[in-house]
Amino acid sequence: MGTTKPRPSGRNSAAQAQALPNKTFIIDNGAYTMKAGYAPDLSPPDDEEIPLSACTAIPNAIAKTRGNRIYVGAQIGTNVTDWNEMLFRRPVEKGYTVNWEAQKEIWENSFFDEKTVRSKELRVAEPEDVTLIFTEAPNALPALQKNADEIIMEEWGFGGYLRCVGPSLNAWNEVQSLFGDPILQKPDSAVSPTECLLVVDSGYSHTIVTPVYKGQPLQRGIRRLDLGGKHLTNYLKELVSIRQYNMVDETYIMNEVKESVCFVSNDFPGDLEQTWKGNGKRGQPEPSNSVVVDYVLPDPNGGKKGFMRPHDPLLSSKKRKAAFSGASAEQLSEDVLVLGNERFAVPEILFTPSDIGMKTAGIPDLILQSLSVLPTGLHPAFLANVMVVGGNSLLPGFMERLETELRQVASAECVVRVRRPKDAIRSTWLGASRLATNKEELRRVAVTRQEYQEHGSTWVGRKFSGAL
Amino acid sequence: MYHVEVVPNTTTSHVTPGWTYVPDKGFDPAKAAIAPSLCRKRGIRDPARTDVSSRQTNAIVRHLAELDRENHRDVAISVPVRQLKDAAGRGTRTKTTSNVRRILQSQKTFRNYLDDEEAALAQAASSATASTVAQRLSLNKIAKSSSSRRSSTPAASPRPVPTAARSKKDLPLAASQKPSSTDNTPSNAQEDASQHSETGLINSQHDNDPLLKSYIPSAPSERIMRALLSEPPLTYNASRAGPPITGKSSRKFCCICGYWGKIRCRNCHQRTCGIECYKVHEDSRCGAFF
Repeated sequence: MGTTKPRPSGRNSAAQAQALPNKTFIIDNGAYTMKAGYAPDLSPPDDEEIPLSACTAIPNAIAKTRGNRIYVGAQIGTNVTDWNEMLFRRPVEKGYTVNWEAQKEIWENSFFDEKTVRSKELRVAEPEDVTLIFTEAPNALPALQKNADEIIMEEWGFGGYLRCVGPSLNAWNEVQSLFGDPILQKPDSAVSPTECLLVVDSGYSHTIVTPVYKGQPLQRGIRRLDLGGKHLTNYLKELVSIRQYNMVDETYIMNEVKESVCFVSNDFPGDLEQTWKGNGKRGQPEPSNSVVVDYVLPDPNGGKKGFMRPHDPLLSSKKRKAAFSGASAEQLSEDVLVLGNERFAVPEILFTPSDIGMKTAGIPDLILQSLSVLPTGLHPAFLANVMVVGGNSLLPGFMERLETELRQVASAECVVRVRRPKDAIRSTWLGASRLATNKEELRRVAVTRQEYQEHGSTWVGRKFSGAL
Repeated sequence: MYHVEVVPNTTTSHVTPGWTYVPDKGFDPAKAAIAPSLCRKRGIRDPARTDVSSRQTNAIVRHLAELDRENHRDVAISVPVRQLKDAAGRGTRTKTTSNVRRILQSQKTFRNYLDDEEAALAQAASSATASTVAQRLSLNKIAKSSSSRRSSTPAASPRPVPTAARSKKDLPLAASQKPSSTDNTPSNAQEDASQHSETGLINSQHDNDPLLKSYIPSAPSERIMRALLSEPPLTYNASRAGPPITGKSSRKFCCICGYWGKIRCRNCHQRTCGIECYKVHEDSRCGAFF
């Protein structure tokens, strides 16, 4: 009964001073989705599916439809049927949680408010009895970190709290089997982070390379490319709007188009040659496995979703004929985007930012730049353990391209291995859930509510930055 | 009339609120992505950017800002109003503190926070330039010392940590390299032979040829790793990606169809792939802009 009170009495608190609450709630607060859920109580089993089943990805946005209806967080995924001209407000800007007014609303809606929380696994009824692990992007601004600490501890008052750099949590995952290494860890011992891991996190707002040593980021090696999924979607939107229909207001739909048609080319000039419009006129037969595809846009009135299908060069003439022969209106009303070089020219900017005039390095060079400031003795270990997480890594061909290019630029003595975890989007969350099972380590890095109240947010900020 | 003012070559001297003169210190990743290069002698200093005028650079900057947008037009989506009853539902919690109120009411964007941060850093830099330089030097020493170690330290020293993280398949590789980089003593040669027979490699007289030697540098010591781990994070701008390492000239694409941009419009310098796309461009989009 004493624990539910906001301020426990002095003697009581002295006894509890060193203890964190047993339950751990993890929020990987991404710009596009937040990955949230309770960590398992016990040491995780080898099967990743069991802890992952507790993790849910919720859109981290407040959306407004063209009918001026407003949806928050998880409602976007389920309640919305008309995606046209959807507008978004995202509390996470450039990868950092900036607008807490919107973020609080989404959190309340998804975790705290009894009426709107989706499932029991996501409900945080008593924050005092829960330890929160909150992720942030590397190189965050101290002012934003302070804001996060203050609002989390003073508005919700979690019993324990840890703010940490998101990519570094991936080192807690079981990466030996991913890279095909012999498993060195004894099954009984507590979970510990892997020794050297180079995490490439290609998300919604940016792509960050983080060298992680024993679960801690090597700060001087962190490099960021300011291109992410958002830029790809906007670029595709722009190209389609110039060449075909005006889609500038259809961010959501173009994101779906991107996810279903875009791929990373492993032979850029060859693919570009294939999609040249002159090919058809020269009388060359269209190859059956052509790069060019059609995307049928969704029809909110008919309640149909968009989908991709092989390109049909005679579609317009067929339509005309069908109109004469009296085909169904349904067939006539469908709108088709023809996507040729847009399919691979768009993700290409991650590897060659100079294609859109940006004078910065692509992802393979970014990795080398990150390593160049680290002792050469670490290069072989990092190059042999490159892990790619984040939504962009799901683009077909991304992993092959990265491995090929990295092999070309890396020193010949080093083995280069680039891998993607089974679940690239929730990998950071999974790492955090494994950290949470190691109670001693968690106690070492996290702060309790009482410590926050005693020492304040400045002290907490110093503690999380490793200065204490 | 030109106004000429002598700018001292330090950042410390001329601090004016709002703006300041700073000497140009070469490549700055923070500005490279945005600042136009105003060099008039194009093609002399930087051949890679021959046809990028400042106007074109501005167009690129605008394009990048466009790509960074959330919605195509500016909209204010307000947080749906909660009923008082709901707010009362969280009964056990304490009242909102002043910190929370301040954070919730703040309408600052990331740009605002970043500007504040830069201003604070500039202030701090002007007061404590010397100390940071000293710190930077000591950090460089860490990287240097470890890289010079690789030649001076024989590989006979116990192989440190990262080997554990490396795969099985490159272990034989490492093992075969270990003896080759040590002195050519008889005992080592024996070890050499035994290991080669184990791994199935063919012995040859060139095994110890210094020209054919390849080595993997030894991992840094525990002390260096501790120093590296305890470093403070870089600033937001310092962690940005640098310029590309490989000096490939940038590719040009047709602004209409996306194929190679073989022709440059003489009015606006945009690229097109052929006469067909050029006509479309001329009729509709050529703004004689640059």
